[in-house]
Amino acid sequence: MRTLAGRGLLASAARLGAVAMAAAALAAGCATSAYQRAGNSDDVASALGKTPAGTATGRPENAAGRPLAFLALGGTKGPRLAAYDLAESRVLWTQPAELKARVAVGPDILVYGAADALVARDISTGAERWRQAIAKGERLLGYAVDGKNVYLTVQEGGQHLHGGKASLRALEASTGGMRWRHEFSSGNVGAPAARGGLVAVPVQSQYVTLLDADNGEQLAQVLSSEEAATFVRALPEGLFFGSAGVFRLTPGTAAGSRKSGGYARAKLPEFVRPVYWFDLYRPEQGDYSALDRNRILWRMTPAGDARFRDDLAFVHNYRFFFGFDARTGELKWAYNHPESEAVASAVVGDAIAFVSADGDVGALDARTGARIFAAKLPGEVVRGATFDAEGWAPRGGAAPAPPLSETLSKIVWDPDRRFWDVKMFAIEELARQPGHEVTEQLLKVTEQQGLPAAVYQKAGEALIARKDGSAADLLARVLSTHADYAEGKSAPAVEILARAAGAMKATTAAPALVEHLRRPETPPAALTQIARALAAIGATDALPALHDFVTMYRADPLYDGDPTPLVAASEAMLALGGPAERQLLLYLAEEPHTVEPLRVHLRRALAQTAGAEARLRAAASTADE
Amino acid sequence: MVVLISSGAAQAGKSAKAKGKKGTPAEAKKEAPKLPAEKLAKVRDILLGDDDPGAIDAAKALGQSGASNAMEPLVDLLSVGGPPARLEVAVEALGALGDPRAVDALEVYAGNHSPDLRRRAVKALAAMKDERVVPALLAALGDQAPDVRAAAADALAARKEAKAGPRLLELVKRNDAGAAPALGLLATPELVPQLAELQGSVDDNVIASALGEYLKRDDVADPLRVDVVRTVGHLSGAAATTALVEYIATVPAKDDRPSKKEAQKLIDDKGTAK
Repeated sequence: MRTLAGRGLLASAARLGAVAMAAAALAAGCATSAYQRAGNSDDVASALGKTPAGTATGRPENAAGRPLAFLALGGTKGPRLAAYDLAESRVLWTQPAELKARVAVGPDILVYGAADALVARDISTGAERWRQAIAKGERLLGYAVDGKNVYLTVQEGGQHLHGGKASLRALEASTGGMRWRHEFSSGNVGAPAARGGLVAVPVQSQYVTLLDADNGEQLAQVLSSEEAATFVRALPEGLFFGSAGVFRLTPGTAAGSRKSGGYARAKLPEFVRPVYWFDLYRPEQGDYSALDRNRILWRMTPAGDARFRDDLAFVHNYRFFFGFDARTGELKWAYNHPESEAVASAVVGDAIAFVSADGDVGALDARTGARIFAAKLPGEVVRGATFDAEGWAPRGGAAPAPPLSETLSKIVWDPDRRFWDVKMFAIEELARQPGHEVTEQLLKVTEQQGLPAAVYQKAGEALIARKDGSAADLLARVLSTHADYAEGKSAPAVEILARAAGAMKATTAAPALVEHLRRPETPPAALTQIARALAAIGATDALPALHDFVTMYRADPLYDGDPTPLVAASEAMLALGGPAERQLLLYLAEEPHTVEPLRVHLRRALAQTAGAEARLRAAASTADE
Repeated sequence: MVVLISSGAAQAGKSAKAKGKKGTPAEAKKEAPKLPAEKLAKVRDILLGDDDPGAIDAAKALGQSGASNAMEPLVDLLSVGGPPARLEVAVEALGALGDPRAVDALEVYAGNHSPDLRRRAVKALAAMKDERVVPALLAALGDQAPDVRAAAADALAARKEAKAGPRLLELVKRNDAGAAPALGLLATPELVPQLAELQGSVDDNVIASALGEYLKRDDVADPLRVDVVRTVGHLSGAAATTALVEYIATVPAKDDRPSKKEAQKLIDDKGTAK
């Protein structure tokens, strides 16, 4: 076991090739903690001195510098691995391969986890170069490639995940030969990340151990004191770690303080799954999975405080991509990929590259969401992909991104019924957009059959908030639909539409509201809103319907428990009507069959308005004289 | 028990009967009894009063009275509302009276949330000899409650309202057994193949019920009836056999039309198959 506390002793031991002995000795001599110096900013500063400064732009890892995508293919042709040249839109090679974990790319080789080995293939031909067997009793926890080395963390012993002990092994990328090996005191370590001579390994969920890529010597330990460090990630702009947010690895974040300025967390809507990177403690997340399709995509500025590049954070949600202002949460753009899910994506600089399950290869402009690249792998089923395309920014031939409202509408109307959280978000965002056509779209939502109630609610609330009087005719049209068993039709979301009609003062919607007031299927909550809307609109033509409603149900035990619709209707009668309505309500207030709560309400309401009524009568009388 | 027919009204009734013996029946029919104003006011008080059983009896009695002005207090009751049981009887009574002046009130109650009250209102509307009720009956075919739809379907069939055909077909497509007999009664020859084509997607019993009614109609040419009989013969379920048996029963014994022979043959075959 190596710890910073015993660095001198262990360096000697390593040189003597007696690591195991030294570990035992250290274990005996260091009974306190292996993490005593964790969080030491000087140690971190010293370790970072070994790595180059972050850069704003990078290049692909592969030696040729070509923008490539490595695709895990499935389907009837069996499991295969393909290399795809994004610049030339062509497949370079395809090899049979059963991937159990993601591809990691180096200059000359790529590696991936197979059932019982880490396999390396030639990046130019796909031919197998070597394989590192994972012995029985071992578990491959993860791996990374950096330059001429491949690093893998392996659990040894222990029946359960993270039981036993773990080691980090450095292999020659060209041959697979062992360069060095670092033993951890715990089996609870995650997959590594490596960048410019430094290897970072998450340990015990709380620490990030930094090792010298040349010899495996431990250089520093980060203590993530305010949130778990479930990932480490190497990017051209630096090394990062975190879980619920992203820490840039700096001396300032050595103790994992969110207040250090080295921490960033994007402001994103509720539907977004807050996955900034894969949980490297969970080997299953090392494979291509649904997690690749539903996560946050991000890049950072190359230096200084942790800040998302261009203040943008991106969300990949299956078929949808969104660009957000990471500081405010404002939606900047949206992209709806038609028909199939994007199974993999990556921010490769100014572009977001993605590939869909049915072989669409694409790229979006990270600033606008415009589709800037489109290619197709016909007849292929893509399970996942790794992009080695840093700096790739295809230009030319790209159509400008459609208006945001148009894309959001498409998302709302997408026939795929799985993504209601996204659609709810799209409705919410749509509501923020100006224009009569947006109101129309929101109304269209309320017209649709079989949507979750929350969707109607969301669209309706947006309509109410818009108070778009110019949409009154549209509203009336939507409300003119009724339930009809013979035609298989349901009523629209009357409750929410009635509220919108009231808010809009939609006079033209009054007849349709009256129709719903008279219909048997209209639920009590909608009846209440209809009555209120009619009052708000000043729909005196609705008085007969209100009369019929109140009288027909005023003695119905159904309303004994909750007379709200009757109360609302009688209120509307008082507001819109005259002496005749008042007289009727007086009768109903005294008639013993009227449900008691309504009687109580009517008595109170009539008493409260009696003075005003008398004054009106007196005024009318004076005017007549 | 409320007795509505006043001496005057009773006299009018007797007078009508007497006239029936000597005068023309048509004349007698025209003169419906009329409740005296005092009696009407008293009944109105009972209908709107506290006594539920009394009000229900009064409503029933009004419906049975046949009085030309019996509709008025019943509509008054519907207009101010009351306990559901009272309203149900009032609606039925209006149906019994068949006075078209009650159409508006009944249409309001055809929209009541209670399926039972809607069904009664639809039946009452059906009793009105007034074209104004047709749209309401057609609309009731779209009701969520099967009993209400069935009442509307029966009413439209009884009125031979051809406009109902397409909507009834839609209901049959949705396996609505209540609409099937009405569709059989109203179906045009063009609609019959569409009905037959529903085999496989609609319950055979529903199709058999519709085609069975179609077979019994007098206005169907026998060659077409033979086709329908064969279609019914191919259907499974008890309703198919019943349709054939009932059809044969409607044909006079001496009538030896081909469709009857075919129906008999199919029944025999079904029996043999068993």
